[in-house]
Amino acid sequence: MNDETRREGGRPGEIEIKGVAKAYEGESSTVTAVEDCSFVVERGKFTVLVGPSGCGKTTLINLVAGYESPTEGEIRLDGALVTDPGPDRLVVFQETALFPWMTTIDNVVYGPKVQRSMPPDEIIAKAGQLLDTVGLSEFRDKFPIQLSGGMQRRAELARALINEPAVLLMDEPFRGLDAMTRELMQEYLLKLFEGSNRTILFVTSEIDEAILFADNLIVLSRSPGKARAEIPVDLGRPRTLDMLTQRRYAELKHEALTILYEEAVGAFASGVRSASDIVEAYQKREAG
Amino acid sequence: MNATQPGMAPPDLTRGYRLARWLKSLWGLNLALGVISVSTLAGLWQFAGPLGIPGLEDVPPPSAVVVAATDLLVSEQYWNGWLKSFQRIGIGFVIAQFIGIPLGLAMAISRGAFGTIFPIIEILRPIPPVAWIPISIVFWPTREQSVIFIVFLGAFWIVLLNTIGGASNIDSAYKRAALSLGSKPRDLFWKIILPATIPSIVTGMAVGMGISWEMVVASEMIAGDTGLGYLLWQSFQINAISHVIVCMVSIGIAGYFSSGLIRLLGGFAAPWQRLH
Repeated sequence: MNDETRREGGRPGEIEIKGVAKAYEGESSTVTAVEDCSFVVERGKFTVLVGPSGCGKTTLINLVAGYESPTEGEIRLDGALVTDPGPDRLVVFQETALFPWMTTIDNVVYGPKVQRSMPPDEIIAKAGQLLDTVGLSEFRDKFPIQLSGGMQRRAELARALINEPAVLLMDEPFRGLDAMTRELMQEYLLKLFEGSNRTILFVTSEIDEAILFADNLIVLSRSPGKARAEIPVDLGRPRTLDMLTQRRYAELKHEALTILYEEAVGAFASGVRSASDIVEAYQKREAG
Repeated sequence: MNATQPGMAPPDLTRGYRLARWLKSLWGLNLALGVISVSTLAGLWQFAGPLGIPGLEDVPPPSAVVVAATDLLVSEQYWNGWLKSFQRIGIGFVIAQFIGIPLGLAMAISRGAFGTIFPIIEILRPIPPVAWIPISIVFWPTREQSVIFIVFLGAFWIVLLNTIGGASNIDSAYKRAALSLGSKPRDLFWKIILPATIPSIVTGMAVGMGISWEMVVASEMIAGDTGLGYLLWQSFQINAISHVIVCMVSIGIAGYFSSGLIRLLGGFAAPWQRLH
């Protein structure tokens, strides 16, 4: 589809979001999930969208993935307009979306098999290699229900990576995992990213996770979602979990939290009751 | 039974152990209660006549049923009845699957198909299959065909509705993932929609099998000249009540085996479901 534009710029994967709005028509009213939202997901960079729940993060992922189309504005991947879902933009979902009726290996080979992008024996070989990398070789013939939460996410990662997507879209992929597994998965994803420098667009509501991953942190405003601020994260790479104790990290976190706080105050004033939680928490934190 | 009898120190049992022991005693208790209730029932039935329990005077006691059973079990008509009933179930039930499953899938996928066919279904479905017996005797050239048709109806509606329900309630995350991974419409149908619907289809088949047995017995009674249902009715007409009871038990056993077959088939068609 957009092969030509991609070849021009070397390694693909730049997403441009320009003045995007998404409104859902309800029975009696229209709900605006995203409004006048613009930012760029740079090639080879780890971009993290952070914002309070209900700020349209998942909507943005759905728009970039091509599951939904924007009511206004446009989204371009390496210059080509995004219109449909496609294997160049793969999503790792909040809840696992592994096909329950397929074994791990069948899930992983599904993409290249239906795209007929590789000869069958090559597909199997590559899938085996990927399962090895994500530590699931022994579980290749198990069904998703037999895997733990962390294994399911890794299997899903393998299912996405086998397609060599230009961009990896991750919608709170580690939500619901226990703290230990979550940390392991975070380290795992960091290693994966730092080893390949592929483009990743990651969505989370956790500020620590956001800073740990990000090259570029985009703070979204409360509903309707809009890119409120961009914070370049200048912590070095490779990143490790103990960077969370550095001073620079604390500064970045403070900067992001302040913006989220301002957002929440505004939202609270305009009647969003749930915003009071973050307002209260922030004030306590600043006082203590 | 009581762990803390007066005068005795309570034994030092951990909570889990005590729970396990309690469950075990409960199971033993249930078994004992089951044996007592079933044998009491059999005893009451056996001695209903001598005891003068009203209503049961004309029902043969279990001992007479056992004697009648040995007599029936060597007759060719009885085993032929099994064969015929199973044949009718086999044909009617299988045709119901062959029409119901594809139709249900088509209706779930295509809005046009749904809009066209659903009104017809809504009119015909509430009619109990038994109510179709007279018209099907008139319509079909042979009695055999009309019995099979009634069996078909018994299984058809439920498998059709379950297929429609299953195929239209597939989690949209699976379809989205499949589209992202580059599925063509053909892949979406064969590799996503169909396997995701199998568990609902199997449930429909299990329920449909039960209804099929009800229908085969009812229609054999009215329109048949062979089969377990026919034999049951025939035995009643010549006042051989022991034989009636043997037929009833036989139909129960046949139904049980048929459901077992569906469960087996379900486990085979949807192996991931067994792991729940």
